[in-house]
Amino acid sequence: MLSRAARPALQAGSAAAFRPAVVALPTLQNANYATLREIEGRLKSIKNISKITKTMKIVASTKLTRAQRAMEAAKKYGATSQQVFDEAETKEAEDSNEKTLLVVCSSDKGLCGGVHSGLSRAARKMLNEKPNDYDIVVLGEKCKAQLSRSNAKQIVLSFSGIGKNVPTFADAGAIADQISLLPTEYKNTKVLYNKFINAQSYQPIAIDAYNEETISQSPNFAQFEIDDEVLVNLREYALANDLFWALAEGHAVEQSARRNAMDNASKNADEMIDKFQILYNRTRQSVITGELVEIITGAAASEDQ
Amino acid sequence: MAFAWKAAGITYNRYLAVAARVVRRSLKEDKRLAAERRGEMSEMRFAKWEGGKQGDHKDLETANAKALAENAGQQSQ
Repeated sequence: MLSRAARPALQAGSAAAFRPAVVALPTLQNANYATLREIEGRLKSIKNISKITKTMKIVASTKLTRAQRAMEAAKKYGATSQQVFDEAETKEAEDSNEKTLLVVCSSDKGLCGGVHSGLSRAARKMLNEKPNDYDIVVLGEKCKAQLSRSNAKQIVLSFSGIGKNVPTFADAGAIADQISLLPTEYKNTKVLYNKFINAQSYQPIAIDAYNEETISQSPNFAQFEIDDEVLVNLREYALANDLFWALAEGHAVEQSARRNAMDNASKNADEMIDKFQILYNRTRQSVITGELVEIITGAAASEDQ
Repeated sequence: MAFAWKAAGITYNRYLAVAARVVRRSLKEDKRLAAERRGEMSEMRFAKWEGGKQGDHKDLETANAKALAENAGQQSQ
């Protein structure tokens, strides 16, 4: 008796309780479906990105071995060239009013972590210490873009097309020729590049290339029996050597940094894929559960009537 | 000591590049191909900057050749 009396009230109550729910459900359902779609789309795009980064990592790895071999060879050029100046104890001329030329060796390609911005930061630090003492030559588009924002007035030359392949000595020679054609006389040329420490780390440092005057003033210069005329050649050659060294080492650093960056990117993408897969499954599950609940309650409700 | 290539306005690096090219070309066929691939100059472009503005892009190789020709003219005068 009680139950029968109570039931209409309950039914009325439950109907009242259900009615807003029924109205609300389609939007809720739509929202659920939409998020499900969204998650699916995102999952797909992340999967594509991880495929790309994985491929780039493999490409960088294969290029890295070649770049490292080239770097080892180029280091010998640079070291031999530098040995001459070590023996002669050549030092940077301090008192002269002439400017120093700063050659920044970056490349055209990005997606390799902080390689280029590290170089730019090092260059800016040097420039800030002696603001009126430097002119800049930039190799590669990346550092050009960065340095042209802060030190555009000091840039005298920029080169692009670097970093597509392992740099050759012909490249370094051509760059050195164009640099030595500059109208201003520089007391010293500094070549700023990323030094390869190991596969994970690198550090921007500068190597010096001196002009004739500085070379002839070095204390142990008398040890070498050479004519003054040859010094011009020596300077040009030493600059090319240094550039070649810097370009080759910078290239190796860039490849290894790209490999690491792509490795990290792939790892992050994999992590995100896992997360989104779980989220996707859970959402799908809850949508199905929600539908089941609707069907069952709907069936139960219509049975009673 | 006077250098013949200096009189022609050629820099030491250019001289080296020419000499290296000659050596590469006189190698045997199989070795020559490998050496030429190694020694080839990549296509580089450069631009001169003045007062914080970038100038026109020029091809590095042709610009170098042109500059050398100009230098040769100055030297012979």
